Amino acid sequence: MKPTLAELVSVSKNYGPVAVLKGVDFSVRKGEVHALLGGNGAGKSTLMKILAGLVPATGGQVQIGGAALSPATPAQAQAMGLYLVPQEAHIFPNQSVLENVCIGLPQAASAYRSRVKDLIARMGVTLRLETKAATLEIADRQIVEILRGLIRDAKVLILDEPTSALTPHEVDTLFTRMKSLRESGHGLVFISHKLHELRAVSDRITVLRDGFVVHSAEMAQSTDAEILAAMSPGVTALNDRVEGKIVSEEKVLQLSHLSGEGFVDISLEVHRGEVLGLTGVVGAGRTELAETLVGLRPRSGGEVLLEGRPFHATKPSDAVKQGIVHLSEDRQQYGLFLEAPLYWNTSSFVYHRLPFFLRPGREQTRFETYRKSLGIKCASADQPVNSLSGGNQQKVLLSKCLAAEPKLLILDEPTRGVDVGARNDIYRIIEDLAAAGTSVIVISSDFDEVVRLSDRIAVMAGGHLAGELPAGASTDAIGQLAFESKETTHA
Amino acid sequence: MLNWIARDRVATLLLVTIAVLLAVGAAAPGFLAPSTATMIWSNGLVLMLIALGVFPVILTRNIDVSGGSVLGLSAVTLGLSLNAGFAMPVAIALTLGAGLAAGAVNGVLVAVLGVPSIVATLGTLGLFRGVMLIATGGEWIEELPETLKALGAKSIGGLSVMGLCTMVVIVAVWAFLRARRGRWVMVVGDNRAAARHLGLPVKRIEFLAFVWGGGMAALAGITFAAQIGFVPNQAGTGIELRAIAALVLGGISLLGGVGTVAGVVIGVIFFTSIDTALVFLKIPAYWNDLIGGAMLLTVLLIDGRLRIALEARDRAARYHRGEAPTPQSKTLEDAA
Repeated sequence: MKPTLAELVSVSKNYGPVAVLKGVDFSVRKGEVHALLGGNGAGKSTLMKILAGLVPATGGQVQIGGAALSPATPAQAQAMGLYLVPQEAHIFPNQSVLENVCIGLPQAASAYRSRVKDLIARMGVTLRLETKAATLEIADRQIVEILRGLIRDAKVLILDEPTSALTPHEVDTLFTRMKSLRESGHGLVFISHKLHELRAVSDRITVLRDGFVVHSAEMAQSTDAEILAAMSPGVTALNDRVEGKIVSEEKVLQLSHLSGEGFVDISLEVHRGEVLGLTGVVGAGRTELAETLVGLRPRSGGEVLLEGRPFHATKPSDAVKQGIVHLSEDRQQYGLFLEAPLYWNTSSFVYHRLPFFLRPGREQTRFETYRKSLGIKCASADQPVNSLSGGNQQKVLLSKCLAAEPKLLILDEPTRGVDVGARNDIYRIIEDLAAAGTSVIVISSDFDEVVRLSDRIAVMAGGHLAGELPAGASTDAIGQLAFESKETTHA
Repeated sequence: MLNWIARDRVATLLLVTIAVLLAVGAAAPGFLAPSTATMIWSNGLVLMLIALGVFPVILTRNIDVSGGSVLGLSAVTLGLSLNAGFAMPVAIALTLGAGLAAGAVNGVLVAVLGVPSIVATLGTLGLFRGVMLIATGGEWIEELPETLKALGAKSIGGLSVMGLCTMVVIVAVWAFLRARRGRWVMVVGDNRAAARHLGLPVKRIEFLAFVWGGGMAALAGITFAAQIGFVPNQAGTGIELRAIAALVLGGISLLGGVGTVAGVVIGVIFFTSIDTALVFLKIPAYWNDLIGGAMLLTVLLIDGRLRIALEARDRAARYHRGEAPTPQSKTLEDAA
């Protein structure tokens, strides 16, 4: 057996009276990718933070390279050859890429310039060392984090959901990197919600649920059904799409030759009760199109008809009043009021309709209806949103959008960072909405999700509408449209 | 040219300062002389030292508004120990010790006990002033020895000893920020969680920044006492806010992580130049605050407008190539 690089022995962790981890064993061997899976709140992140010295364990042992991690600080873990690449890259926005990579090393950044350059070249990416980090894309920020690990000579790299912000193309490059790291004898821990991604690169898999290890085996010997059953009993697969749905001919929204920041000449139609999947690679202009539609960005040309009448929102409240509701992809920053009670969040799109003196009782009743219909798991309507898991936060956001009674709902990446169980619920909610006559535009980089949900699929590439596909089109067909024209513009 | 000005607050401010000086020179002959330059320098010393003290604190995304009281406390320590017969070096050591201790109190409150820095230093602002008043019994300290006053008088090349000390401090801070550990101070303010994640001693850095602030306030207290020769009860009152205004003017972001020593120096010199120019223009001293405030707002507004115009132009350029939007910086900057 290959030597073990890092090991957690019956580790437990309590936050006050709540036990998050209950005697978990976990190890990473030399030259392997170890997949770690679990629902939101299963304890994956806490486990990895303990391994990286960011959080002290309540009980059990942490060993890196055969020696105990002591003192349990991130600096010590890094010195012992372990680096955690967090889900959200930790970037110093006002420093250069080089400084970002080299902060905390024993010498000044200039001493490492050639080594960093070398690493970048070996990873096969283009990244200028002098670029200010604030201007980097999410994918490049992840690269900076991985470089930090490599320059520290980390033998163990933990990647916490590195693919959640990446497009399929970028995911492929990342996987190639991971495989070459494995070949060179590194040990990797790979956390993801997407089973097919885990299967593509991992050698071993460990599934956590409620702070216990419920499944741990070689990847090749675990079937999807086994893994899903271990993760959330009762869910064996994502529900399939209901076939044979008939969409109304009535047009709710018509865009003709709409142009704006990051996209040109987009003509689209959305019918009543239809789910339109809008996809493409990051930077294709999807989010910009949605934001322009609801008045967050200026429009530079073209026409929009809402139910046959001209529609031009100059601020988001115009759009909400006329029945177009937009849900941002960044739920922490633009979606939720994190410290506010759940029912405040549910009311937040309709404050202009509330009476002068608020009636909290009625708002709570409203929240209660949505809690039941959307299946939000919470203790009370008064608890702050940030005490919920990612999937439930997303449901609270949906309740907020539904409270505004939209004709057209635009959802930007509605299942980012959401586990399989909650993802199923969200799919069902979207389908129910469409069945009730609400039109939905789902913006997503996950082609499988687009195929699963959409009655029609619009693909954008490089700011243009690359094409439209009917329901049930293959992900390959989408990929072709999404990447093809990208290549031509680069040529 | 426009680009250069808009990208660099320090350059804007330098040009404005020069323009103001030239305009005053045209109105009041005899203003544009080397003696005016040394006068502005020595008039600005106390403010400069306080600003240099608050600078690292603001870089770590904290704030220290207790500078004026620490100045007063240190000046009183100096006065009392000199009048009690201590030798000058001993008295200065005691004074610096008082300043560092006061800074350490701030540091413990913020870095160890986790009190928000504005609350902690507002508290100590009153506390230190109170300690100072109790120590003096509410009296002014007068009849300070000539040896102390000599420190504030022009001696070498038109500069005082304290003036030279300040120059050394400026160079030291500049060199420090270019060093590896200096960078740590900047990045703690830029993204505290990331700094901790990378294993930097975040709390120690914050603590030391406050201690440095206290030490600089003590130096300012020595300068103050040396320049005017006595210590009034209200020594240093309100100077912390002037120092913070000068820092903001010099392009130091109150959100932490951004700022240069050149910005500190030019910000302080700008403020002092205005005060000095008003004397030459024979405008009554009670106009100083109004004119200083108006100038501060004007420069900030012009600078802000320039920045917005430039960003709009960058944004337009970025989206103009609608056919092939550069992946560079797109979604993130919008999200930011």
